Amino acid sequence: MQISVLVALTLLVLIAFGFLTGRRRALSVRAQGGPRLHSLPNYYGYYIALWTGGPALVLLAAYGAFGSGLVNTLAMSQLEREAAPLIAEFERQLDADAQIIALLEEAAEADADAMEAREAITRARDSGLDPQAFQGALAGHTTRLTEIGARLDQRRGEIARSVAARAPSSDAGIRARSGFEFWNSPRERRELFLADARAIAFGEGLASRNTPELRAAALAMRPVEDIFRWSVAALVLSMAVGGLAWGRSRVKASFRARNRVEAAISGLLMFASIIAILTTLGIVFSLLFESLRFFASIGWRVGDFLFGLQWSPQIAIRADQIGQSGAFGAAPLFAGTALITVIAMSVAVPVGLFSAIYMSEYASKRVRAVAKPILEVLAGVPTVVYGFFALLTVGPFLRDFALFLGYEDAVTQSALSAGLVMGVMIIPFVSSLSDDVINAVPQSLRDGAYAMGATKSETIRHVVLPAALPGIVGAVLLGVSRAIGETMIVVMAAGQGANLTANPLESVTTITVQIVTLLTGDQEFDSSKTLAAFALGLVLFVLTLMLNIIALRVVQRFRERYE
Amino acid sequence: MAYDAQPAPATVYHPAPAGMNIKVAASDLSVRYGGALALDRVAMDIPDRSVTACIGPSGCGKSTFLRCINRMNDTIETARVSGSIRIDGEEVNDRSIDPVLLRARVGMVFQKPNPFPKSIYENVAYGPRIHGLAASKDELDAIVETSLTKAGLWKEVADRLHQPGTSLSGGQQQRLVIARAIAVNPEVILMDEPCSALDPIATARIEELIDELRENYALIIVTHSMAQAARVSQMTAFFHLGALVEYGPTEEIFTNPRDQRTQDYITGRFG
Repeated sequence: MQISVLVALTLLVLIAFGFLTGRRRALSVRAQGGPRLHSLPNYYGYYIALWTGGPALVLLAAYGAFGSGLVNTLAMSQLEREAAPLIAEFERQLDADAQIIALLEEAAEADADAMEAREAITRARDSGLDPQAFQGALAGHTTRLTEIGARLDQRRGEIARSVAARAPSSDAGIRARSGFEFWNSPRERRELFLADARAIAFGEGLASRNTPELRAAALAMRPVEDIFRWSVAALVLSMAVGGLAWGRSRVKASFRARNRVEAAISGLLMFASIIAILTTLGIVFSLLFESLRFFASIGWRVGDFLFGLQWSPQIAIRADQIGQSGAFGAAPLFAGTALITVIAMSVAVPVGLFSAIYMSEYASKRVRAVAKPILEVLAGVPTVVYGFFALLTVGPFLRDFALFLGYEDAVTQSALSAGLVMGVMIIPFVSSLSDDVINAVPQSLRDGAYAMGATKSETIRHVVLPAALPGIVGAVLLGVSRAIGETMIVVMAAGQGANLTANPLESVTTITVQIVTLLTGDQEFDSSKTLAAFALGLVLFVLTLMLNIIALRVVQRFRERYE
Repeated sequence: MAYDAQPAPATVYHPAPAGMNIKVAASDLSVRYGGALALDRVAMDIPDRSVTACIGPSGCGKSTFLRCINRMNDTIETARVSGSIRIDGEEVNDRSIDPVLLRARVGMVFQKPNPFPKSIYENVAYGPRIHGLAASKDELDAIVETSLTKAGLWKEVADRLHQPGTSLSGGQQQRLVIARAIAVNPEVILMDEPCSALDPIATARIEELIDELRENYALIIVTHSMAQAARVSQMTAFFHLGALVEYGPTEEIFTNPRDQRTQDYITGRFG
């Protein structure tokens, strides 16, 4: 840690020195009355500073990103080599162990039985018989398989422990045990092992365990890390010095430092946008691949997912569940999202648009100066506050009102209360953006309409709004995408029931809410239940993408240019 | 406020030439924007069926004067108009006058072409529609065609009436706007620097058009180009610092100005 701070400080000093020396050199060229400098002296300074800092910082960044992984791999592969005798012994014993051989035979048997039962189920279905008996048998076989697997793991663990125990408790023996433990761990355990070892070696966080094996691994990591650190530090500094010397050697009166700095700046800006694009791509791909895993886990019945009418992911954890195909039907979620969005927009669009028209066309400057910030305060209210407003105030009010009107099934958590409050939340987005575009309509258009003898509201309806339409459409679609993506209000105020209904007084649930429920709490990460969240996320992404494309098309279609 | 200290402007005032009807008559007309005096006690008789040009340096009040005639100053919150302006003897500033109806009688064309975000047809049909001038679709079609023909645009747009008005070139847009103003059959047409955003060829077309329109309407145009004023107008008014300095037949103003300031401006000594 201290080395890297030192390196960073030295680098900064070198960069500053590079800047000053470049500047000074340029100034001295000028003072000698030589040919006119191409650029201002500062640019020569920037140029040298760029050469000093640029390559060195790239190397530092690469070390920061990949350094510790490299250290881990090198240290652990050394330990694994030392554990070679133990590994050989373990494999020999596994092959010779009678219990394991018996278990493997049993597993093969159970597997064959399960296969048979599956075929029987298919046959029964094809011939129109009730496959229930076979389904029971299949469940039995699967349970047996799981049990055998557990026993196999247990026996393997016993053998591994006895092999490890046979290693001497000398340093070399412990190193071998450490390498063996690492070799014998599944992927997630390996990551935990490495994290613990690093915690012990370098104090990076807290170790979950502290065993002799981990300490041995930590000891093995330290020298590798030290060599790495020192060599990277030396390399960084020599690159900085080399860059400085190279930059300095190029400073001449005719050298176009200004243009070079310009190129470096455009490179930097491009780099920033590439990061943004790559991040987006990364998100899209991670969504895509996890969704593919999900679709694979439900047997590629994408149609059932998109159009299925029953959403009950909680009961579909076991792989061979009966009626599993119906459990991931997301149509109720899409319907719920659409219902709440429609309710929210039918509040937000008229109120937002009309208030924008009032603010920009009718309100006096003084009213506007007060009212606009107040309206925008709405945008600053945290959504969770809207959520409990919906849950504790609007929801009960609507329920009581519905009961009063004689609707007896009224509930507190309804699509209507969530949608209404969400609409209020979206008002400022619609009004603020619409206000801006209405103000951007040139005064000459209004004058033209007034000069034709149009009244104020005629001018607004016939001329101002059509001219502002692209922007208003944009504002509305922005509001829609907020409504689709809004989670907190719906979690709190719309209930959780995946009801397929168009009745706004019932509970509904949305895509986002289900993503939250699927991914929070204790979850196994490779069950189709959890993976379903990614598929929902993908749908959400595609939905908003399509909205944006439609918005762009609409805007292009109605666009009028006023230069 | 400094203006207030000055004596009443020595307006060199020529009555309209004999034999011409007075269409617009201003007297003692002043306009204030907030505290600033933009137009100072202007008196002027504008003849019918002729072109009157208002010239003068920027900020001299000529546009303000124009906007008094169709009460466009009403749309500016801080504007205060006093004095009298009459069209055919009828007081424009009178409370009984509905500005919306007044503006149907007084068309206006602005500096920058400002076609509405509608088709060419709808742009021209807009005025007749809101004032209910056409009883049927055929009648409306006829109004659109006559107006576009009068504005010299019909031949160019007859086959694309339903394209957006903004798809036309700048000069065509300005003629479209003139057609739009003509469509409500006004008596007076005000033009506020109608050619300043146009190229010389488009300007020549508009000037020709102004000359043709003179047969049916009283035209008042504000222009920065003295050459244009000399080419198209019969009467010229020279404004300076909010006051009308000199007003008379164009020929006289340009060949024999009576006020020193007029002479200086015309000969390019200031402006």
